[in-house]
Amino acid sequence: MAARWLVFREEEPRDNFVLLDHKQGDREQQGRNSRKSGGDEAVPRTRISKKPRPIRRKKEHGKASNPGEDEEGFYTKLLVDPRLQTNKDYIETIYSLPKNQDIIVRDFTISLEPPVQAFAVFIEGISDRVTVNESVLKPLMLLSGKRPVTEPAKLAEYLKKHVVYGNQVDVQDKFEDIIEKINYGGTAVFLDGSPYCLTIESKGWEKRPVGKPVTEQVIRGPHEAFVETLRSNTGLIRKAIRNPRLITEIFKIGVRNKTDVAIMYLDNLANPSLVEEVRRRINSVDTDYVSESGILEQFIEDNPFMPVPQVISTERPDRVISFIMDGKVAILMDGNPNVLVVPTTFFSLLHSPEDYYLRLPYGNFIRLLRVAAMFIAFVTPAFYVAITTFHQEMIPTDLILVIASSRETVPFPTVIEVFFMEFAFEMIREAGVRVPGVIGNTLGIVGALILGQAAVQAGIVSPILIIVVALTGLASFAIPNYSMSFAFRGVRFIFTALAAVFGFFGVSAGLFVLMTSMTGMKSFGVPILSPIGPRTKSGPDILLRGPVWSMEERPDFINAREMRRQPDISRGWIKSSPQEPEPGGGDNQQT
Amino acid sequence: MGTISKRESLTFLGPSEALAMVMIYMGAKAFLGYPRLMAYQGLNAGWLLTVLGGLTAAAFWLAVSALLARFPGKSIVEINEIILGRPLGLGLNALILVYLVFSSGVFLRQFSESVIITALPDSPLSSLAGLFLLTVLIAAYFGLESISRNSHIALPFILIGVAAVLVSLYTFWDAKELLPILGAGAGPVLVHGLLGSSAYGEVLLLAILAPFFSFGANTIRKVGLIGIGVVMLYFAAITAVYLMVIPIPGATETLAPFYQLSRTIYVGRYYQRLESVFVLFWTYTAFLQLAIGLIVTALAAQATLKLPYYRPLLPALAVLFLSLALTPASLMENTIIEEYQLLYGGLFLFLVPFGVWALAALKEKAEKQ
Repeated sequence: MAARWLVFREEEPRDNFVLLDHKQGDREQQGRNSRKSGGDEAVPRTRISKKPRPIRRKKEHGKASNPGEDEEGFYTKLLVDPRLQTNKDYIETIYSLPKNQDIIVRDFTISLEPPVQAFAVFIEGISDRVTVNESVLKPLMLLSGKRPVTEPAKLAEYLKKHVVYGNQVDVQDKFEDIIEKINYGGTAVFLDGSPYCLTIESKGWEKRPVGKPVTEQVIRGPHEAFVETLRSNTGLIRKAIRNPRLITEIFKIGVRNKTDVAIMYLDNLANPSLVEEVRRRINSVDTDYVSESGILEQFIEDNPFMPVPQVISTERPDRVISFIMDGKVAILMDGNPNVLVVPTTFFSLLHSPEDYYLRLPYGNFIRLLRVAAMFIAFVTPAFYVAITTFHQEMIPTDLILVIASSRETVPFPTVIEVFFMEFAFEMIREAGVRVPGVIGNTLGIVGALILGQAAVQAGIVSPILIIVVALTGLASFAIPNYSMSFAFRGVRFIFTALAAVFGFFGVSAGLFVLMTSMTGMKSFGVPILSPIGPRTKSGPDILLRGPVWSMEERPDFINAREMRRQPDISRGWIKSSPQEPEPGGGDNQQT
Repeated sequence: MGTISKRESLTFLGPSEALAMVMIYMGAKAFLGYPRLMAYQGLNAGWLLTVLGGLTAAAFWLAVSALLARFPGKSIVEINEIILGRPLGLGLNALILVYLVFSSGVFLRQFSESVIITALPDSPLSSLAGLFLLTVLIAAYFGLESISRNSHIALPFILIGVAAVLVSLYTFWDAKELLPILGAGAGPVLVHGLLGSSAYGEVLLLAILAPFFSFGANTIRKVGLIGIGVVMLYFAAITAVYLMVIPIPGATETLAPFYQLSRTIYVGRYYQRLESVFVLFWTYTAFLQLAIGLIVTALAAQATLKLPYYRPLLPALAVLFLSLALTPASLMENTIIEEYQLLYGGLFLFLVPFGVWALAALKEKAEKQ
């Protein structure tokens, strides 16, 4: 183990993905596919010719043991048995019945000629009771018309076509698929004598309605936010992008618990190699359970140890929509109100949707404010420490006298003061998030006013430092991206420490390392500092933005299939010459 | 370039990044004793020396780039071996390598001393040199791509920062200080001007990194010429303002001319004594210059010694830089070494490749005959 740290080992070569122009990307992809088909051919899934043996159940200490208990997914190769009791045994074993009490197995008879025995399986709490009663049980028990059915093998198909009127009904024979449907709110109906099972969509769980964004509020713009239901979220995007080329692909990740992950992109806009890379990364995740998009983000990001995020996480559908319309790919996870968008750049992390909704001067004003806030958030404490400790000559004499007199009673060096107050501020912020809502607001006021005031009066910190800390804290809230805000909050402590030891020289060293690390970072093959490092063609939308009618092309680094957003003259009305006013007439002429 | 590591083989730099790197590698010495040396050698015509040096360097660069054009995609290290044969080529490459290490060692010492003079008078030299090296080592570990992009992003800010200092001194400009126009006389100006081409010798960086560029020899030549041209103007502007603000003989005695300039700024009560702010600019430039020096030396060593990777060389080279930086007994001793380097460094950086180019041309002629 020790040798690992003593002997140099070059980093293992990774499959470094570089987002190329889509034509090159296509060629790459073809190459990749041909390699894949040559070396690792997918094994076609065939129906098991031999009927699986019924699971034997043996009595042990008077209790039924579960033979599949220690085998996760043991049922994946099981097929539906024509014997109803065997299927019931399978279901009981798979769901550990009767121990597992929210699995409902309902026996009933289908009123055909002759009557067919059947049972339905669904999960209480995630299946809608009304749907199960009205769309599954009622038609099967009462409305099947007592028609004669001769072939049991075609029974399920007959019921699907003529009896059950659910909007999504499937005929299935693999237990793996059936269990997946049941676990996601569906109802399965097993029929006596039939090797097929009916699965009816009957999802219906308690869910939060679409509400307002919590962390990305705007004054001007839509006030909708994503919720925890995947289909609601895809719907929010689809209702805005009314385009048949908007593709929603759904994958399942997690071995022990499968979670639905959807990717959404515009087929005729997104770079195919980017879409393939997103697919590849998601499908390569091999873990028991991915519960949150934040965890998925950590599985698929390029540089996990760097402070700056490489994926945009947003709760605003309008933001995701604008990214998809630029050729990016959105990743949605079931149970999560935060949608990931890739690739991202540093500058996207500094943008807010409101920048575009507001008129040009206002939009640019808030962008400038935000850039200033970003710098204030991570260098102000460091500058204060450097100036008061090493570079006093920078401050005009009057001001230095004020600072010196305010620090006269403070027994600690500046850096200790700064660390003390910054740490206290972070604690207030963290406590404000954790404590119950009613106390939260009070805690903020107590922390900000009383603690600061008391600390000054006690002579522990100087009043100017309170201004510095308050300014830094305020600035960190102005950073629109939550992860980015975290990055700068953490980095400022390192900068402060460097300033305490080396003054501006230390700050410069910190900036240099931060910049060098960022220039080497990539987000799904796109350098994070694009379009300035490396320099690529981009519209007028980096730090400041140009008029919306001047953003003719999409940024070059996305390498979208179609680079142009709009023609050179997008304001059609300026093409035609204004009508000559009639002599003697005019709008302002009073009659 | 010999054998290069898998990761670096994927690195291709664009012309703007190459230009930024070469400009910073050449231009960083303006923050050290360079303007003083120009004032010392050329007196009131110090700025003229920078122009003459730049023009001479451009002529040499044309020869070096002609050599590169004969062997597209190959670095000067490889070309030396092809033309001179393995033993001689190895010897010559070793010479270039020694110069690169020596040059970075001198710069490291000068930069560390400048930090002591300008910002941290009580700090021990070794701690400052140590921070310089640690930072630069981390940057070099991130790779050539990161450093080149960092240079490209930082360059406009550095240029604006320098321009701001020069313009802020407008009230102190005294154009009479640039007269007589030929300063110490035509002879000394011409001799020192030619020798002054050494200040642009770092343009050889382009020849060492040729395999990492996404463009051909023609663009390499242009990048080199533009780099020399812009840096020449920048050197001339700094030296001229220096001479106009701090008259001879004071100008020949200042240890940190640029610091002295930024310290002189007084535009109003709230716009004065800004030397500490400019510490940020020039130390950032120093970090970049040393990082470029370290990675270029490591890549040259990798190619010379035919090693599979360059990263294991980085700590070893960093230790060498530090040892060399701490070797001179005093600041004055190092300043004298720096002056020698600025005068005769060109012998290594220009004359040697120029000789190889001449040899290649002769060989080709003989082969044709």
